[in-house]
Amino acid sequence: MAGSQLKRLKASLHKEGLIGPQKSKKDKKRDSKSGVKRMDKRAALEGIREQFNPFDLKHNVRGPKFDVTSNRPTNKAIHGRPMEAKTASEERRRQTLTVDEQRKNKVGGIVDRRFGENDPTLAPEERMLERFARETQSRHKKSSMFDLEDDEPGFDLTHGGKALSLDGPALVDDFDEDMEGLSDEDEDNEGRRAYLKRKALTEGEDVDVDDAQPERKKTKQEIYSEIIAKSKAHKAARQEAKDEDEDIREELNKELNNIKNLLFRTKDPRNNEPLDKAAEDAERVKMEKEYDLRVRQMLQDRRAQPTERTKTDEEQAAEASERLQKLEEKRQKRMRGEQESESEDEKEKDTEEAEPTADFMEEDDDDEFGLGGGIAEKSKKSKIRPTATELGFDDEDDFFIEDDIVASGSELSLDEEEDEDESDEDGEDDDEFTKGLLGETEQKDPAFSMSSNTGSKDDPEGVPYSYASCPETHQEFLDAIKNVPVEKLHVVIVRIRTIFHAQLDSQNKAKLGKFTLALIHHLPHLASQPKLPPFSVFEQLIRHIHSLAKTYPIEVACEFRSHLEDFAKTRPLDPNLGDLIIFTAIGTVFPPSDHFHQVVTPAQLEIARFLGQKIPKQLSDLAKGVYLSILILQYQQVSKRYMPELINFNLNTLLALAPQSRKNVPFPVHELPGGLRLSNAQATEIRKLNCYDCVESERSAKDQNAFKIAIIDSTVKVLEAAAMLWADKTSFLETFEPFKQILEHLASKSCRSHFPEALRDRMRKVQTKMDQMLKLAQIQRKPLELHHHRPLAIKSSMPKFEDTFDPNKHYDPDRERAESAKLRKEFKNERKGAMRELRKDANFMAREKLRVKKAKDEAYEKKYKRLVAEIQGEEGRESNAYAREKEARKKAAKRNK
Amino acid sequence: MPSKTAEAPLKRKRSKGAEKPKKRARSDSGSDAEDNAQAEILLLENGILESKKNYNNITKLLDLSRNKKDGESSLIATVALCRVFLRLLAQGSMQKKADQSEKETIVIQWLKDRLVDYEGVLIDALAEDDTESTALTLAMRVLKAEGQYRDNKDEYSFPEPFLKDIVHAIVFNGSEDLREEFCEKYLGEYCDVRYYAFKVMSEIFGTDESDQSTREALFNNAYEMLSFFDEVPDTMEEMGEYYLEKPPKKHPVTILSQQKRLGQVAWLAALRLGPNRDQRKQVLQIMTRSIAPWFTQPEFLADFLTDSYNAGGSISLLALGGIFYLIQHRNLDYPSFYTKLYSLLDSDILHSKHRSRFLRLLDTFLNSTHLPAALIASFIKRLARLSLNAPPAAIVSIVPLFYNLFRKHPSTTFMMHRVPRSKEEKALIENEGWNDPFDMAESDPMLTNAIDSCIWELVQHQSHYHPNVATVSKIISEQFTKQTYNLEDFLDHSYGSLLDAELSKQVRKPPVVEFMIPKRIFLPQDPASGAEDNLLTKIWGFE
Repeated sequence: MAGSQLKRLKASLHKEGLIGPQKSKKDKKRDSKSGVKRMDKRAALEGIREQFNPFDLKHNVRGPKFDVTSNRPTNKAIHGRPMEAKTASEERRRQTLTVDEQRKNKVGGIVDRRFGENDPTLAPEERMLERFARETQSRHKKSSMFDLEDDEPGFDLTHGGKALSLDGPALVDDFDEDMEGLSDEDEDNEGRRAYLKRKALTEGEDVDVDDAQPERKKTKQEIYSEIIAKSKAHKAARQEAKDEDEDIREELNKELNNIKNLLFRTKDPRNNEPLDKAAEDAERVKMEKEYDLRVRQMLQDRRAQPTERTKTDEEQAAEASERLQKLEEKRQKRMRGEQESESEDEKEKDTEEAEPTADFMEEDDDDEFGLGGGIAEKSKKSKIRPTATELGFDDEDDFFIEDDIVASGSELSLDEEEDEDESDEDGEDDDEFTKGLLGETEQKDPAFSMSSNTGSKDDPEGVPYSYASCPETHQEFLDAIKNVPVEKLHVVIVRIRTIFHAQLDSQNKAKLGKFTLALIHHLPHLASQPKLPPFSVFEQLIRHIHSLAKTYPIEVACEFRSHLEDFAKTRPLDPNLGDLIIFTAIGTVFPPSDHFHQVVTPAQLEIARFLGQKIPKQLSDLAKGVYLSILILQYQQVSKRYMPELINFNLNTLLALAPQSRKNVPFPVHELPGGLRLSNAQATEIRKLNCYDCVESERSAKDQNAFKIAIIDSTVKVLEAAAMLWADKTSFLETFEPFKQILEHLASKSCRSHFPEALRDRMRKVQTKMDQMLKLAQIQRKPLELHHHRPLAIKSSMPKFEDTFDPNKHYDPDRERAESAKLRKEFKNERKGAMRELRKDANFMAREKLRVKKAKDEAYEKKYKRLVAEIQGEEGRESNAYAREKEARKKAAKRNK
Repeated sequence: MPSKTAEAPLKRKRSKGAEKPKKRARSDSGSDAEDNAQAEILLLENGILESKKNYNNITKLLDLSRNKKDGESSLIATVALCRVFLRLLAQGSMQKKADQSEKETIVIQWLKDRLVDYEGVLIDALAEDDTESTALTLAMRVLKAEGQYRDNKDEYSFPEPFLKDIVHAIVFNGSEDLREEFCEKYLGEYCDVRYYAFKVMSEIFGTDESDQSTREALFNNAYEMLSFFDEVPDTMEEMGEYYLEKPPKKHPVTILSQQKRLGQVAWLAALRLGPNRDQRKQVLQIMTRSIAPWFTQPEFLADFLTDSYNAGGSISLLALGGIFYLIQHRNLDYPSFYTKLYSLLDSDILHSKHRSRFLRLLDTFLNSTHLPAALIASFIKRLARLSLNAPPAAIVSIVPLFYNLFRKHPSTTFMMHRVPRSKEEKALIENEGWNDPFDMAESDPMLTNAIDSCIWELVQHQSHYHPNVATVSKIISEQFTKQTYNLEDFLDHSYGSLLDAELSKQVRKPPVVEFMIPKRIFLPQDPASGAEDNLLTKIWGFE
């Protein structure tokens, strides 16, 4: 499109059809019909204007950067219309700012000069005070006394020394008072006026009450209120009429019956209808009420539930066995010291699917350590595997603590369940137990069942039936059983437990707890008697403690632990009989198979310390060691854990007692002090060791030999049992090889002759057994394959990719920081915008002021010029007139001349 | 009376031992008599200081101080004499000058003789339990004065003979407290005292004592004094201050190596006394820390150490540390060191009191990756075998050691994981079992075949009765993800510490109680129930 601007304009106008050859009438008509023409024309003109004034638009200077095809509107070349925006903002300012400016300090059209009127910070009192101060100041400022403009009186008129004031009560204008009174009685007046008016109306006199006053025009309010009053009155009248009508109708209705009776005199039973109706109503109300009540009752009724069927014996047995099985599973888990993994579970199922219930049924019956048989099989097959338990090991700084945490963690859940179980099983357990203990005779004895009521009557054996208070310390317990034969001890305990059963009194639970501790105290006390009581007493006592421990596990455990602590502090290598009994009790009351147990673990450690560190000085030390070794083996019947100290001690015992010494064993040998080796005991009987052997005493040579033979026999038995127990240990060969060698040594010529024949036989048997076991172990021996682990994955460190990455977005991973950055940016933008606006406002105001000033100046100039011109005109006129006058005078003078 | 006021603090300084005779004196002679005696001594003392005429009072005082019967006044006399001599020395009235008359020289000579007498009194007093502490203070003060106000001002000289007497008295006759006091107050504090004390000590120990028991007693005392220094000073600043004035430069006292050399000489002299077994152990225990650093030529220790190392038992274990010190610092070449080390792994080692000390060293010795794997394997296998009879604390400490060794010597890991190569081999193992090639009796660690063996022992410990031991043992069959275990965390345990760890924990949650109450514990089962008796009843008799 070449050519000058003008040409182009013409061309475009032509193209739009705005100029050019005139249209025919027909065309015009058609256009007007469509009615679009004028609008079109305007739009077209707009377009052309725009097109020819490119500076009104803001363009991208270099045009679009790339040619992009998209479905979005492409009109992106125009970024804005600065002129339009400017005018718009100007207009907006004119509308807001100028108005504000003009309104400034003005109320209505008047400039408000009152001090502090628009100052919200000023309290009204302060404002008033300030105003008063200013007023007085301004009054003082007035220097001229004779300023006529001063409308305020500078001095007041006085009369007789008193200020003359209109406010004073003394000088009250009568007129005013009158007016006031009038205004007060305005209403009355009104009433009176109305009255007069009415009177006039009624009397027909055309007398205006308000003669003196002209008729006042009614206000709108009055008119409206009048109208309202009128309409109300109409309404009331209508209502009244209606009521009247109603009354009449009622009367008619009442009389209708009579009329009907008069009309149809038939025997109608419903002649007393209204009465019937009332009764019916009452009935219905009653019925409804009843119905509601029923509904509510039904809502409250609980839905009937099926009662639990009484279980058959088989079912009960099955349930019991299931419970036992569950307990057993928990125990297994504790033994491994871990949460069982699922795979292991399955494995176990595979191997142990075969009639587990039958197994447990059986055990339920015999209820003894026979338990071990089935479990032993189980644990044999379930290989102990390292699991997550050892994760605690990662942090080796506090390894022992960590381990404990893990162990306790794994037990936590179990305990909770246990508690639940316990709560329901405890009662019945207890009852069963006490029942069993009571024995049939006592149960039938009426005196006993009423024991709490009967006085302090004793039964034939001298055991009292009732106790005033539950013995809570050992001393009290000793007092209570002072006169009771030791054989009847359990009867006393049963009675105390019955009398102070937890269900009988709320305080009994605590009392029984303390009683339990006293019982535990009683164990070593009994054992320290010079004449040992029969072991059935110990047995009963421990069983009682066991059953009470189910209710008071923490207390009992703490008591046992304090015993252990005492033992560890005072006599770690010199246990007495009481300690031995305590260790035995721990082994039965608590499950010694647990991986970790708060009581059993320290107890085992203490036994191990004795076995490992005791340097035997006398035969009783050896006897104690044998007892503790048996205990350990019993502890480990189920879990089969290995204790090196046990092997050491027992082998050492054999070596120390052997007629000849022998070297080359894998542990330090402690020889007994001289003369304690066995010699010439061929004729000795083999007897069992007993608890009296644990106490050192003088013995004859024969007894001494019997004692030694008993120790050797027991030791061999212990080691044999240990070999059986640990037969499947990986290092069985190395562990028991020394035992075999020592047996060989004892069977050698120099030693053999000293042993009695029976023992020799025994040892020979054990030796062949050991030979077989060792051979078997050798055959079963396989190289270790511990590390069939899955190979560890190499740690991958892939960079994190953002799928829809936007460079304008901020990918700050720190949420808080990102948010604060966003806020900061927003604040910056806002601040910039606000400053720009303010600057524009200020510019506008300046411009506006300038404009106003200019206008004012111009007006002034104009006026000034007008005045000057006027004056000049007048002057000119005057001078002209003067000149004319002068001319005329000249002419006249000339003329006169 | 100014001297009376001076009396009070001195009285207070008296050792506790002095109180006993004082009480006795009070009880039999009363306080008046005592006051009189004291006043007399004070008078005598003042007289000496007032004029030279009263010098004869010195002999009176000396007599008084020698008079052991009246302990109180003898002590006061000793103190008074000390003051007198200190003042005389300070005045210079005991110094020879060029322009002195013959008479004066005689007086000075006489005074010097009295001083020697007085020193004899002090040395005697050192042997007494009651007076030793005071005597030591006085003697050291006199020593100082003697050193300071000597005849020849220009030359540095230390009153060595007197010191030798003092040290001799302390070493031979002094009590334990006295030795400790001497070490604490003088030997440890002042480097010149130490220097000359070491010197005289080596002379004293050098004297030949034929009697074995006296030599042992002497060694005990010497050990007590010499082992006072836990840490051997490294710089001259650490050596301490000078008791006398600072000697001129280049004087041997000021040189660290000279000081150390004398320490070495003293120790060597002490060791030559021929310590017995227990003393040897004592010496070996502090060898690397307190003895060897004194030695500028530690080679001198080599004989002693190798003798001890070959002695066997715990002495060998203890000597190992010293040997290692020599190897480390002096590049000592110990022939067949590892064989000897291997021979130390006997049945007692894991039960020994010095177990952790030995294991620490063993860890150091086996630390090198250049050692043959067969050797490492022998050590591992032998320790594992011994651990079958070891206490839990020992097992806990060797397992992490094994772990670290396995990590460092990957070819030994076959001991944990050995898969049969061929089918025939597998079948053979299935049928006949696998023979352990390890030879426990072999003494050369390179020939034991341990590397072809396996550590079944540790697998057995995985079912150890102590839960922590079992858990620690399981790291062997875990994946070896950890770089190393810090051995220090596992070394110092014992039954006591393990028990404490268990018993010190509070019981918070209820412990599990065995759910089945056994029918019988001690007594045999009812024959009717058909249940088996428990082990206790079978073996033990309860009647």
